[in-house]
Amino acid sequence: MPARTPAGPIALWRSQSGHAAASADRCPHRGMRLSHGFVRGEALSCIYHGWSYARPGNCLRIPAHPGLTPPETIRVATHEVEESGGVIWVAVGEPTIQPPRLEGLAPLRSLTAHAGIAVLEAVVGAKAGPEGLVWQAQNSQEIRLLLVPQEDDHTLIHVLLDEKSSASQRVAASRAIESLRRTAEYLQAKGIAS
Amino acid sequence: MKLYDYVLSPSCYKVRLMAALTGVKLEIRPVDFHPGAEHRSPELMALNPAGSIPILEDDDLILTESAAMLVYLAAQAGPEWLGSGTPEQTARVQQWLSFSHRLTASLGGARLHEMLLRPGDIAKLQAQGIAALRELESGLVEQGLRGMRFLASDRPTVADIACFPYVALAPDGGVPLDPYPGIRLWSRAIRGLEHFIEMPGIHRLHELKSEPDAEPGEA
Repeated sequence: MPARTPAGPIALWRSQSGHAAASADRCPHRGMRLSHGFVRGEALSCIYHGWSYARPGNCLRIPAHPGLTPPETIRVATHEVEESGGVIWVAVGEPTIQPPRLEGLAPLRSLTAHAGIAVLEAVVGAKAGPEGLVWQAQNSQEIRLLLVPQEDDHTLIHVLLDEKSSASQRVAASRAIESLRRTAEYLQAKGIAS
Repeated sequence: MKLYDYVLSPSCYKVRLMAALTGVKLEIRPVDFHPGAEHRSPELMALNPAGSIPILEDDDLILTESAAMLVYLAAQAGPEWLGSGTPEQTARVQQWLSFSHRLTASLGGARLHEMLLRPGDIAKLQAQGIAALRELESGLVEQGLRGMRFLASDRPTVADIACFPYVALAPDGGVPLDPYPGIRLWSRAIRGLEHFIEMPGIHRLHELKSEPDAEPGEA
């Protein structure tokens, strides 16, 4: 699937054995988006000419030249990926620290808001740290937000909740985050208009 | 049962899809919607004064609303598609059947504007489409939290078939589906149903074949 990091668009994929991997979203052959491609076994294949790549980025196979072992120089740029507690972390450049351990939290949902991170922080009334943004919602539940900036003042919000939450608490949190998004988008639009 | 049909119309596709899923054989009467505007012809206006398609004709019964056609097919050939009959599930089915008209007006309007150059305020249609998609996403997320994969139940109902086509074709109207993980999962579940049929722009879930072997003597 396509995803965005501050370094640009990536193709995020999971191999058949369950390993997550991230590469540049561009096939080195003809520039096609690799996120349009498909996963077969442990390789990501480009939809255009079927060149397939292993998780470390080396080219495994060029279908038009079945007898050829692709040279080491044909490779796609990759990113370090770490998966913990249902969250996939993608490193931009060489990772210098381990991703935070979000103990006791479980992912609820992910959604996109047409509002910048600063606006979301203002609505929540707190600053986002390395472990995300802690939001004390009106119904007194604590909701954790992981914010990823996207293009054009959009923000991807990953919502996490206490893993012991009941089904009705999860539904309430899902509705609370919709309200937060409405408020943030209203402020964002007003800010641009004024 | 005769369906007045246009192959590129998502509303007509709803009826073809429902018939395929419930195993009903339809007699298809193609209508030259574009460029012929045959749906406005005297013959079709006599059947449906609203001048819209699809039209489903079964002896004396003439239906001109696609939601009613889905319910008719389900009641005849697959009552499980109407939900379990509990008050809550019955209401959820009706909720999303009514909601599906908003998808038609917004995403369908944007698609007609982009594909057939119909006049309209495209920015407004797209904004309304995004608002509707967000509601659908939120509904699907909540259903997921209740342990259900579909809009009204853990099995698909007429509500899912009523909402699915205009959602799946939203990109035709310039509205991307990337921001809605719940909708993408739901769309996969529908496209993977047994007896699912395609329309131009909506493909089934392909089974991945194993790596084709190299032909001997090639390279």
